Amino acid sequence: MNLFVLLAIAAAMVLVQFGVTRWVKLNLLAWMGIWWVALWAAFSYGINPPLPNSIIVLFMAIITIALVAYLSADNEELKQAQESIGRFMVTRQYRVALLIVMFLIPAAVAAWTFSSMNQAPQPPSSGRTIHPPPPSSITFQGTSINLTTANNPLRELQHTDEAAFAEHVASGRRIYFENCFYCHGDNMEGAGMFAHGYDPLPANFNDATTIAMLQESYLFWRIAKGAPGLPSESTPWSSAMPAWEDFLTEEEIWEVIIFLYEFTGFEPRAQGMPH
Amino acid sequence: MRILLTLLLVYIAYPAVAQQENDLGTEAQRAEGKEVYDIKCAHCHGYEGDASAVATPYLRPTPRDFTSGNYKFRSTASGELPTTEDIKRSIRLGMPYTSMPAWEGILSETEITNLAYYLKTFEPAFDGPYGNPTVVEIPRAPSYSADPDHLARGQEIFAANQCADCHGENGRGNGESAPELVDDWGDPIRAADMTKRWTFRAGATREDIYRTFMTGLNGTPMPSYEQTIDAEDRWALVDYVWSLSRDTPDYGTTVTVQGRSGELVLSEGLFEAAPEVYFPIVGQIIEPGRAFYPGVNGISVKAVYNNSEIAIQLQWHDMTAETDGMNNPLIEVPMFDPAQPDTTMDGWSDAVAILLPSRTPEGLERPYFMFGDSRFPMSIWYTDLATDSAAVLIGQGSGRIADNGIALERSASYEDGVWTVQFKGPRNQGELTMPEATFVPISFTIWDGFNGERGNKRGLSAWYHLYLEPMETQSSVLPMAKWFLIVLGAELLIVGLVNLRARRRKTA
Repeated sequence: MNLFVLLAIAAAMVLVQFGVTRWVKLNLLAWMGIWWVALWAAFSYGINPPLPNSIIVLFMAIITIALVAYLSADNEELKQAQESIGRFMVTRQYRVALLIVMFLIPAAVAAWTFSSMNQAPQPPSSGRTIHPPPPSSITFQGTSINLTTANNPLRELQHTDEAAFAEHVASGRRIYFENCFYCHGDNMEGAGMFAHGYDPLPANFNDATTIAMLQESYLFWRIAKGAPGLPSESTPWSSAMPAWEDFLTEEEIWEVIIFLYEFTGFEPRAQGMPH
Repeated sequence: MRILLTLLLVYIAYPAVAQQENDLGTEAQRAEGKEVYDIKCAHCHGYEGDASAVATPYLRPTPRDFTSGNYKFRSTASGELPTTEDIKRSIRLGMPYTSMPAWEGILSETEITNLAYYLKTFEPAFDGPYGNPTVVEIPRAPSYSADPDHLARGQEIFAANQCADCHGENGRGNGESAPELVDDWGDPIRAADMTKRWTFRAGATREDIYRTFMTGLNGTPMPSYEQTIDAEDRWALVDYVWSLSRDTPDYGTTVTVQGRSGELVLSEGLFEAAPEVYFPIVGQIIEPGRAFYPGVNGISVKAVYNNSEIAIQLQWHDMTAETDGMNNPLIEVPMFDPAQPDTTMDGWSDAVAILLPSRTPEGLERPYFMFGDSRFPMSIWYTDLATDSAAVLIGQGSGRIADNGIALERSASYEDGVWTVQFKGPRNQGELTMPEATFVPISFTIWDGFNGERGNKRGLSAWYHLYLEPMETQSSVLPMAKWFLIVLGAELLIVGLVNLRARRRKTA
């Protein structure tokens, strides 16, 4: 949200609605034009991060239809609008304005042709599946782990043996800061010291759409198998996530998973809950 | 030790220093600071503040040892303790391009204040007679002046104060003594590369630069120049240093390759008009042989092509050129282990490679960026800078790299801290083609021999693109004229019809 821009637009519209119309009788078409421009400005400049162009075009098309529908809902107003357009085209006193408009429209089309032919070429890109569906089971260091039923074996301790659980959390902390924080960051926001050099960027665990909505067995799969274990829709060739099965034991991976949840304050999604 | 000596000397010299109230916070503030510290800071700086913790051995520059009282960033004279505000600022803004993040926005202002008070408890001197040092006044910065005389004066000051000994003739961090620099704890430390302002640890504004050479960086070889540089020359030096760097790294994603008619002869002039793109280089920490502190942090790339060939120029800053010894992507490197540091640091030459897919990729697919795999091998344009040859290697993953016997033309030179390496190869090699107006994936890897980099211990980049700009672009004049006339015609038709009807209505 770019509050400053939105407020400025809102203020301008309040002025138009309650100020200007008091002194000047605003033509219905002009009023529609002002609304159209104001909404376009709000979508284009008022939202941060900026909306993609295609989305703005879509929104503006809907708004145009809505405005036309508004206009045609009242026969009287529709007729009025038609007449004012007709008058603009035939009345002698508007001749200069008409010529200007008649020049500007094709000029705008030509300019658009120019810019679309001279656009900087865009590298190929497509949606990347961030959380691909996991396989039903994986082979971890020689043993098979069923991902649909696997639970974090250390999770029980949280209620039965708090001291032992705290020890595993401490161990998870050690593992995280020996191995993970260079990319995932001190605060798990995915902004570690090497993050800027990788594409895709490392996951942000503070974001509600990462570990907060995943099961612990899913995290185990992603940590153990890393980028090389991703399906092709997740562009495994460019992710920098190592396959940690080559470095860590099974217990160490469960420990670091516990630490991720402890540090961020999120709860893992329970096993068996629908995706 | 040094700080104690300084304090002792000052104490003897001025026994009557008026003792001001030290800013140590309340008991409760320090206790709350400790809570934050143990969660957010202890894994690098140590629970006892002594920079001995799980992550410390993996990090360079080494995280601060708070028990020493040596703070790099201060607004106080060289050798003195920092103010509370100094400590808070370091926490708030972090140290760019190190493992110290900016905590602003993550921790609240209160938490940062409490932390600063807690950090002070690690060094008893904060509670002593020198715990409240005087701040070196930084005058308001005059606006930047690019006046040649002013900058030339700055350059004179730079030379007169031997800045080049560490920072290099042109400030690229490649001074003669740069390779030997160590901090007070004996760990290697690098002189700042002044052409990369965004990496300045104590900040990159002109006031920051002023403050850094006025106060020095405690614990490092950077002294204070407060006594040696006259007040009227200080901003000249600041502006000279400022003039050496652009504002931001401005990382790119695509190298636009320009077409050339005629032969591509590797030379400086060949790439003169080609646009330059800068990419980040980070450590390979994905597979064994992990490089936690790579020697190179960025690479500039230019490229041109003709009918049959493509030439690519790589440039990067390196404080020394290692042209003796050898290197090879296949050399086995022991796993990084703090208990057994890599001792075979010598004998490795600098090397560089351009990584390309071995075949024209379909859609988004490309080789795994760690030297490819058997499903999709990688084509590696490799050169060991101790030799004068280059070859195309085929990579099917780390440890599975073979020379496929294609030689490449290559030229390499090292001058004043910059390596320039130019490659030339065919546009069509085996199953990889590079037609005009297409994007070809490309990535880079650099071995800094001085830093013990070899095999999989290396600096690398993510996948980026080469784009071969078409030699002849279609003119847009005709399509523009066509659309202009079509729309104008439609308008004339409508306006004409409306007018016709209006006239008929009138006559009727």
